[in-house]
Amino acid sequence: MPVALFLSVFLIAACGLIYELIAGTLASYLLGDDVFQFSTIIGCYLFAMGIGSYLSRYLRRALVAQFVSIELMVGVVGGFSSSLLFLAFAYTDAFRLVLYVVVILVGTLVGLEIPLLMRILKERFRFSELISHVLTFDYLGALGASLLFPILLVPKLGLVRSALVFGILNAAVALWSTYLFREQLARSHVLRVGCFVVLACLGVGMVFADRISSSADNSLYADEVIFSRNTRYQHIVLTRWKDDLRLFLNTHLQFSSRDEYRYHEALVHPALAALPGARRVLVMGGGDGLAIREILKYPSVESITQVELDPEMTKLFSTHPVLSELNQHALMAPRVHVINADAFRWLDQNTEKFDFIVADFPDPTSYSLGKLFTTTFYRLTAKHLSAGGLLVVQSTSPLFARQSYWCIVESVKQAGLRTYPYHVYVPSFGEWGFVIGSFAPYDPPRQLPSGLRFLSTQNVAEMFGFPNDMQPVPAEPNRLNDQILVRYYDREWKEIAR
Amino acid sequence: MERNRPITRRTVLAGAPALLGLGRKTGRPITGTFVNDSFDLGHRLRDRIPFASPKRQVKIPLVIVGGGMAGLNAAWHLDKRGFRDFVLLEMESQTGGNSRWGQNEISRFPWAAHYVPVPAKGESLARELFEELGVFRDGVWDDRVLCFAPQERLFIFGRWQEGIEPENATPRDTEQYRRFNDTINEFRASGQFTIPMERGPKASPLDQLSMADWLAREKFDSPTLRWYINYACRDDYGALARDTSAWAGIHYFASREPEEKGPLTWPEGNGWIAQRLSEKVRPYVRTGSVVYRIAREPRRLRVLTESTEYVADAVVFAAPTFLAQYLIEDAPRAEGFQYSPWLTANLTLDQMPREPGFDLAWDNVIYDSPALGYVNATHMNLATSTERTVWTFYWSLAEYAPADARRLLLAKDWNYWKEAILQDLERAHPDIRQCVSNIDIMRLGHAMARPATGFVFSDERRRWLKPLGNIFFANSDLSGFSIFEEAQYRGVTAAKEALKVLGRA
Repeated sequence: MPVALFLSVFLIAACGLIYELIAGTLASYLLGDDVFQFSTIIGCYLFAMGIGSYLSRYLRRALVAQFVSIELMVGVVGGFSSSLLFLAFAYTDAFRLVLYVVVILVGTLVGLEIPLLMRILKERFRFSELISHVLTFDYLGALGASLLFPILLVPKLGLVRSALVFGILNAAVALWSTYLFREQLARSHVLRVGCFVVLACLGVGMVFADRISSSADNSLYADEVIFSRNTRYQHIVLTRWKDDLRLFLNTHLQFSSRDEYRYHEALVHPALAALPGARRVLVMGGGDGLAIREILKYPSVESITQVELDPEMTKLFSTHPVLSELNQHALMAPRVHVINADAFRWLDQNTEKFDFIVADFPDPTSYSLGKLFTTTFYRLTAKHLSAGGLLVVQSTSPLFARQSYWCIVESVKQAGLRTYPYHVYVPSFGEWGFVIGSFAPYDPPRQLPSGLRFLSTQNVAEMFGFPNDMQPVPAEPNRLNDQILVRYYDREWKEIAR
Repeated sequence: MERNRPITRRTVLAGAPALLGLGRKTGRPITGTFVNDSFDLGHRLRDRIPFASPKRQVKIPLVIVGGGMAGLNAAWHLDKRGFRDFVLLEMESQTGGNSRWGQNEISRFPWAAHYVPVPAKGESLARELFEELGVFRDGVWDDRVLCFAPQERLFIFGRWQEGIEPENATPRDTEQYRRFNDTINEFRASGQFTIPMERGPKASPLDQLSMADWLAREKFDSPTLRWYINYACRDDYGALARDTSAWAGIHYFASREPEEKGPLTWPEGNGWIAQRLSEKVRPYVRTGSVVYRIAREPRRLRVLTESTEYVADAVVFAAPTFLAQYLIEDAPRAEGFQYSPWLTANLTLDQMPREPGFDLAWDNVIYDSPALGYVNATHMNLATSTERTVWTFYWSLAEYAPADARRLLLAKDWNYWKEAILQDLERAHPDIRQCVSNIDIMRLGHAMARPATGFVFSDERRRWLKPLGNIFFANSDLSGFSIFEEAQYRGVTAAKEALKVLGRA
C-alpha cells in the first residue's frame, strides 16, 4: 500500500515535469530564442504551481474525489497540450496566448496535486515521514522525466504523443486512486466512468496524433517537424534541429538556415551588383523573402515586386517570428510589393519592365513546375527585362543533375538571351547552379554590398568557372510541348537517390 | 411518408455519425442536361414534315449550305479571292459544326473536334490558314498552341502511366509494336497515304479488307497492340477495327510525320479555329437558317429557308452528304455513306480527383473502357496549378451498328448517360462523384463519316465528287473520314469549282 501510494506521487511528478518540458521545447521550436522560452515557461509554471498550492486550502470536502478530478483535468489539459499548441500555431495568430494559458492551467492543477495528496495521506503517516516520502518521490519523478524526455520521448514518440502518453498516465493514476482510496470515496463509480472517458479520449488522440503533428512527416524528415500545412498548392514543412531551421516544399528541401546565406547571396549579388542603376526588381517564386533580404541591401532599388503563388508562404514568412527574423522582415519592407499569383500567368497579363528579374522556383520535379523552366517562359520573361537588365535563374545542381542544368542554360539561350552560367557550394544542397541571362554582355561585379557573409569580389569571378565534372553536356532546350527537362531531371536524381 | 416520420431516439442516434462527419460520403447532386440537340430538326427533314414558306426572296450568285469547317473554309477562300456575292446558311445558332465549343466560369471547352495534327510541309492549305491566324510564323509554330507536355496517359493495371501505348508489355508485345511501326514507316514512305487523301492513289486493295482482318493477316495478335489500334479506329472513325477499312486504319498512322511535336490544340479545341474563321467571314453568315429544300430549276437554284428564299446560280453543299437526298430536289441517295453517332460530355470539376500514378495529361485514356477517355480543357493554360477544370468526355458508340446506337442515344435519358460516364470514370477516379458538379451531354446522331470496308475507293463515294448541276459537294465525308484537313480541302475545292462556273475563276 505505501509503495503504491508513493509510486503515484512519482508518476504525478513525472507528468508535471513532462508538460513543462513539452511547453518549453515546443515554444523554442516554434518561436526560437530557447533561453527566453524556457526561462519564462519554467517561471510561469512554478508560479502557477504556487497558485495551485495556495488554492488547495479552499478544497475542504471529499478530498479523494477532488484529487481524482484534478488528476483527470491534468490528464486532459496536459495530454492534449502539445496538440493544442501545434494547432494554435498552425491555425491562429494567438500562439503565445494559448501557450501561457496552457502553462498556467497545467501548473495550477499540478500545484494542487501534492498538497491535496499530502492531506489525504496525513492520517496514515507521521508528518515527518510523509513529507520526506512525498518529496523524495516527487524529486525522483522529476529526475526520471527529465532523463526520459530527451533520450526516449522526443526522438521516439515526438511531442504530441509524449504529452498524450503522460496524459494517459495521469488518468491511470486517477483510476488507480479510485481503488486505492475506495473506502474514502462515496461515488467511486461515477469517477471511474469519468476516468474511462478521459482514457478513451486520450487514446483516440493517440490514434489521430499523426494528423495533428503530421508525425507521418516526422518519419520523412530527419529533424523535428515544427510546422506542417497543406495549402491549396503545396505541402509546407518546417523542421528544426538546434539552430538549423529547414523549409521543405512537397518534401523537397528549399533552404537550411545554417547556409542559406550562401545560396541567396550567390543568387542575387553577381547580377544585381553588376547593375548599379537597377531600380525595379521582380522576384518570382521564393516566397521566403530571403532573396529580397539580399536585394534590400541596394539603396538604388526603388521597388521590388514579389510574385509568389502561395499566399500561405508569404504570410508565413511575413508574420512568423523566427522566419521573418531570418529574412529580416524583408516581406514587410515598404519597397516590397507582394503579389500572390501564378508567375507564368502574371507575366502574360502584365507589361511592366524590370532591371533585375529573379526566377527562384522549386526544381522541375513535375510537368507543372517544369513549365517555369521552358523556352516559352524565358521568352516571356525576356519581354519584361529592360534593355540593360539581367535575369537570374535557379537552375538545379550542375553536379548531380548535369544535363538538367545545361538544359536550363540552353532554354534561356533559346529565348534570345546571352547566358552566363555559374555555381556555388551550399553544404545542405551540394554544388548548386544558376544562370544569368542578358541582352548585353555581362561582366561579374567589381564591387559588392558590404556585410556579405560569403561572397567577395574575388570569389564572384571564380564561380563562373566550371570544373571538369560540371562542364557543359549536350542538352535539348526545354519546350512546353516536350518538357525534356522533367525527364532529364527525373533520370539524373534517380541515379543519385538509390 | 418519409417526411412525417417522428424523430425518435433511434433516428437521432442513427444521424449522430453523420453529424460528426463520420457518415459514408455520398455523391453530391450533379446538375446537367442534354445540349445542342438537333434530332427534332433532323427528323422533320427526314420525314418531310412541311416547313413554313419564306416571305422574302433574295437573289445571290452563291449559297453555302452548312457552317461547319467545310463551309467556313469555303467562305474563307471566296472572301480571300475577293468574291463577296454569297451567303453561308447555318441551321444552328453557332457555326462550327463538329468544331463547336462552349464555355463556363472555369474554361472554354470543345464539343467535338479538339485538335489538328501539326500540318506537314505538303499541307499547304492548312499552313496557309494557320499562318493567317498567327500560329505559324516564319516556319515556326507558336509554342502556346502546340500541345503542352504531358500529352497523353493511359490508365492500366490500376494506375496512370505516361503515353498511350501500354507499358509493361511482354517481349511479344514489344516485338509486335516494333514490327507495326516498321510496317507503318514503309507505308508512309510509299507516299500513298496523303493528306488530303485525294492526292494519294486512285484505289488500293487494302480498302477491301477490314483493319481487323489486315491485323490478322499480318499476324499482329498482341492484345495490347490490338487494343491500341482498335482504340485509334474508335477515336478517329467512331468504328471498331473490324468495321473500318484497313486503308483508312493505316492512313491514320501513315499519313503524318510532323516535324514538330504537337498537335495544335486550344482550350475550346477546334472551336478556336471555327471562331477565327467565323469572325473573318461574319458578313456572309446567316445562323439559324434551316435549309429545308433546294429546288433545281433550269437556270437557277432556289434555296429555301423558313424566312428567306435564296435564288442562286450555284450552291456549295457543305452539310453532311447524306442530307442531300432530303434537301435537294431529285438528288440520289448517298449510298454507302455511314456515320458514327457520338456522345460527348463536358464535366465541370470544382476539385481535382485523387489518382494514382502519372500526372493529369491533355488526353486521358482508360484501358478497355468502351468510351474514349477525356481531354482536360485547362491543359493549355500557362498556370502551374489546377484547382478546377472541365473535362471533355468522348464516347463513340462503336460497338453498335450506327442505327442501333442512334436509337440508344435517343432512348436513354440524361441520367442514364450521366451514370454511364461516371461509372466509366470511377475505375480510374474512385472519388469522381465528389469532384464533378455538372455534366452537360451532347448527342450527335451523325457525328462523323465512317470509312467502312470498301467505302474509301468505292464508286458510290466518288460520284459525289462531281457536282449535281451547279451544286458542289464539300463535306469532309467525301473523303471517307471527318478530319479538319479534309473538311478544309473539300470546302476550298468546292468553292473553287463554284467560282469557275460563276465565271469568276
